[in-house]
Amino acid sequence: MFVAKSIAADHKDLIHDVSYDFHGRRMATCSSDQSVKVWDKGDDGEWHCTASWKTHSGSVWRVTWAHPEFGQVLASCSFDRTAAVWEEIVGESNDKQRGQSHWIKRTTLVDSRTSVTDVKFAPKHMGLMLTTCSADGVVRIYEAPDVMNLSQWSLQHEISCKLACSCISWNPSSSRAHPPMIAVGGDDSNGAYSGKVQIHEYNENTRKYAKAETLMTVTDPVHDIAFAPNLGRSFHVLAIATKDVRIFKLLPLRRESANSSGPTKFEVQVMAQFDSHNSQVWRVSWNITSTLLASSGDDGCVRLWKANYMDNWKCTGILRGDGSPVNGSSGPSAALSAVGVPGAAQMIVGAATAGRKKAQLMPG
Amino acid sequence: MEKMTRVSTINGRTMFCHLDAPANAISVCRDATQVVVAGRNIFKIYGLEEDGFVERLNLRVGRKPSLNFSCADVMWHQMEENLLATAATNGAVVTWNLSRPCRNKQEQLFTEHKRTVNKVCFHPTEVNMLLSGSQDGFMKCFDLRKKESVSTFSGQSESVRDVQFSMKDYFTFAASFENGNVQLWDIRRPDRYERMFTAHTGPVFCCDWHPEDRGWLATGGRDKMVKVWDMSTNRVKEIYCVQTFASVARVKWRPERRYHLATCSMMVDHNIYVWDVRRPFIPFATFEEHKDVTTGIVWRHQHDPYFLLSGSKDSTLYQHMFKDASRPVDRANPEGLCFGLFGDLAFAAKESLMSAPASAGDVGRKTYPGGDRRYPIFFFKKPDVTEQFAQVSSALSVFESEADSSAGMDWFINTAQSYLLSGKPFAELCEHNAHVAKSLNRPQESTTWTMLRIMFSEPANPSLSTNHNLNKSGNLPLVNSFSMKEMSGALNERNKENRQDNIHSLETNLNNNDENEETEGSEGQAEYLFVDDELDDDELYSMEHDNQPAEESEYLLPQEAFPLRHEIMDHPSAPEPLQEKQESPHVSGSEAESMCLTPMESFSLISVSQQLFSPHLPPKFFCPIVKEMLCYYAEQGDVQMAVSVLIVLGDRIRKEIDELMQEHWYMSYIDLLQRFELWNVSNEVIKLSTCGAIMCLNQASTTLHINCSNCKRPMSNKGWICDRCHQCASVCAVCHHVVKGLFVWCQGCSHGGHLEHVMEWLKQSKHCPAGCGHLCEYT
Repeated sequence: MFVAKSIAADHKDLIHDVSYDFHGRRMATCSSDQSVKVWDKGDDGEWHCTASWKTHSGSVWRVTWAHPEFGQVLASCSFDRTAAVWEEIVGESNDKQRGQSHWIKRTTLVDSRTSVTDVKFAPKHMGLMLTTCSADGVVRIYEAPDVMNLSQWSLQHEISCKLACSCISWNPSSSRAHPPMIAVGGDDSNGAYSGKVQIHEYNENTRKYAKAETLMTVTDPVHDIAFAPNLGRSFHVLAIATKDVRIFKLLPLRRESANSSGPTKFEVQVMAQFDSHNSQVWRVSWNITSTLLASSGDDGCVRLWKANYMDNWKCTGILRGDGSPVNGSSGPSAALSAVGVPGAAQMIVGAATAGRKKAQLMPG
Repeated sequence: MEKMTRVSTINGRTMFCHLDAPANAISVCRDATQVVVAGRNIFKIYGLEEDGFVERLNLRVGRKPSLNFSCADVMWHQMEENLLATAATNGAVVTWNLSRPCRNKQEQLFTEHKRTVNKVCFHPTEVNMLLSGSQDGFMKCFDLRKKESVSTFSGQSESVRDVQFSMKDYFTFAASFENGNVQLWDIRRPDRYERMFTAHTGPVFCCDWHPEDRGWLATGGRDKMVKVWDMSTNRVKEIYCVQTFASVARVKWRPERRYHLATCSMMVDHNIYVWDVRRPFIPFATFEEHKDVTTGIVWRHQHDPYFLLSGSKDSTLYQHMFKDASRPVDRANPEGLCFGLFGDLAFAAKESLMSAPASAGDVGRKTYPGGDRRYPIFFFKKPDVTEQFAQVSSALSVFESEADSSAGMDWFINTAQSYLLSGKPFAELCEHNAHVAKSLNRPQESTTWTMLRIMFSEPANPSLSTNHNLNKSGNLPLVNSFSMKEMSGALNERNKENRQDNIHSLETNLNNNDENEETEGSEGQAEYLFVDDELDDDELYSMEHDNQPAEESEYLLPQEAFPLRHEIMDHPSAPEPLQEKQESPHVSGSEAESMCLTPMESFSLISVSQQLFSPHLPPKFFCPIVKEMLCYYAEQGDVQMAVSVLIVLGDRIRKEIDELMQEHWYMSYIDLLQRFELWNVSNEVIKLSTCGAIMCLNQASTTLHINCSNCKRPMSNKGWICDRCHQCASVCAVCHHVVKGLFVWCQGCSHGGHLEHVMEWLKQSKHCPAGCGHLCEYT
């Protein structure tokens, strides 16, 4: 059951990304209007904008939070070919009284020659690392050697993907059995016959990232990519937003010898593939237990996917931001009742509230 | 004087040619068939053919061309097709007549400027009037029939970067300066400018009059901005501002598109952008062909918005077709989506997507039902690309998961807080946890806990391991039914070989099962089942599942149940009661299962007679199964269960599981707990863990430097006694007792004490409880 709350974001152009922080109490949005806004959940459960500032001189494509261990830190990337790191300053200023907090720029990463399309912090156990990818196909990994000094970042790795990169995702696994791994998606509309998703893995021996896998079956432009939270699994689950939603399972195969220097080989399985958005899928996002996948597409809907005990993935809910009912939804759970408060966009999506009786009606 | 009619058709494609040298400026002739390229070492005319550029004329003649050929700017007259003017870097203004019969086409030479001439401009309608702007700060107006300038305008500011005659006002021209000013002049009044305003911070490199709107002037500067000014009012007003990301070298309004203009930059950025000034943040189109700085851009024809010519420092001349432009907006993501920690979902999407019906049809009208007052209504007749481009916004909404929904995470928090992991006998821990799981509607976990209790309880301690359910109805056979999918895998594996010779007994078993179906409602039996009616509360599953899997599970049931028994038969004491059990009509409680079990839970049913096992089977017997089960939970994303069981079972299972995997589970669980800010639970888990890597988490990275509260000097030793003043350092300033446990102190004066005492004290007083007069801060 979800209750939709609409928030007056007041961005002057498209919002390209929303991102929750580690604890789920803060939210950042970024927009083509070159600004980033930070929203805090108040005690009343409402979201309040506590900061809004101009970050770049171009569209801001993505915004992401660092692990709170490193402070309240955001990274953003933009069409203006830069990525930036921002830190919230806690101090006694007049801003505090107005409920506004102050964010200052700690660094600008200017290595890219083209639009920086995605920015992600590496999993915490790797230290304070930041990854960017750019439209000219370069993935850059930066590290802040001193976590107390956010203005110093050194470029550690440059991975050339030969792919117009649009999105990256770190494998969140903290297991020592899984070397650092990053998945890159590209949205090249040309060169349709090459794989648009690459997996790069860190090799302890060469101290370099090397391509471990290309998902050759994904040939359409990829808009988003997301590893599921690992939570102690031995394999990796990767969701991909392309012209449909796809879920891949990557099973690391045992190496023949412990000291073989090549990258890990994976057994790649397609767990699911859905085209119910009937259009480009723009975003995928996992919940924290990686049991639910949300995807959004050009149809303006959010669809929720869940696997059952057999690893069969099914749609368990369709959400619409404006509260209008979803017509002709093919999913079995389109039980949707709009509480008619126009404008306020109040809505309840009853995903399978009816329980057993309902289940009887459903087609297999 | 507008002689131009809409050009019939210009044909062509995106094409380029190599120049001999970098270009500084380009200009097209009136009929859009030829282009002149000028630079420090180049001065050529190219013909624009359908499939390529053709060199027509090289104006740079002579063995050692004079500096007059070194051009900073060039302009082709828009009325007189044989007339060109160039601005030379040596300060000369040169005019060229292409109709001259000799090779040298130079016609007039004005050497009045003292420094580089940055710009020349012909009057749009007056044939003989030429204007120049120079680095020396002067602008000069020439009559081409005379040998000298007719008037000189002194900007009284810095170097002139651009001069442009107004398209509509015959006498007006605009000049932009390096100090950020823009001046408007009347050509008849050389003594004083009509208007001046500061347009940019830093140099204004270019300006361009709107071809249709009388008062609109676009300016671009080093401050990376393009601004559109309305000059028609008394006060000059900035009406649009476009932020680009490099200094703006050239700006040109796009023909026939009221709000579009093209820009290029003088450094860093080699691309040409076409902007819609109403949407100043993202370019409408981009041309990305050039490899070096673009120096000159010009629309090929005054009334054709589809062809753009550009020259560059990379020594190429390009014709760009608009249809080949890249559209950054198309690649821009119109949606943002993120799952929050508590299962809420933030979703931002372009408004037109949200309100558009599935069949993306008349988007424009739907989006703006009231009509947008800023723009005339006719814009909505046909929502064409440019209009759709200009009007966008996103809606942001948060879908908050309700407390009891499957997407919510309350179960996790509650479970984490309520589980007992240590401090009690094993069986009690299990029982407690089973109860917790049950109360949170998690029957599968509950059952697992109960099973674990039975499996691993010490035989010597039967009272604890006895099921309270059993006690309630002691006269019934001692049968416990467990539903555990996770066991099936392991068991299947193990017993494949057994299956062959057991087909017969399997069949009988099946029959038994069928009989069970018929003998409905054996009252009292349900009490034995750990699975009960609450099982179907897992909504998502119950709605996905249908009859098919339920049947399957019934079918599978005996398969799984049987082999286990088979193994048990090896055991000396097992056979007899087992036999009895097989005959029992209540063997598996399948009627209850078909009623209420969801497939998840009922995938297999294993019947275990407790009495059989507890005295004889060593707990080790179950280890592979339990291991399998833990892995199953982990793979399902329930690392909480895996870790909790791991801790509770402790040594019973630890050695069975790969150390690395254990560490991985611990890490994942601790990370989750910290996300939910369950610090106490996380600490407990760290403390109880047996992995070295985990245990040291609590011992790293925290160092406390404390001052003695008595003498205020740093404490060097680890004890409680300060070695300088030999007093006990950790005395509560409020109650004067030694503090054990939570100790809070002021970093300013080193005084502190019991947390609750200090909190209470500071409610009443701002001063330090020790009376030192310090204004302590407690946050």
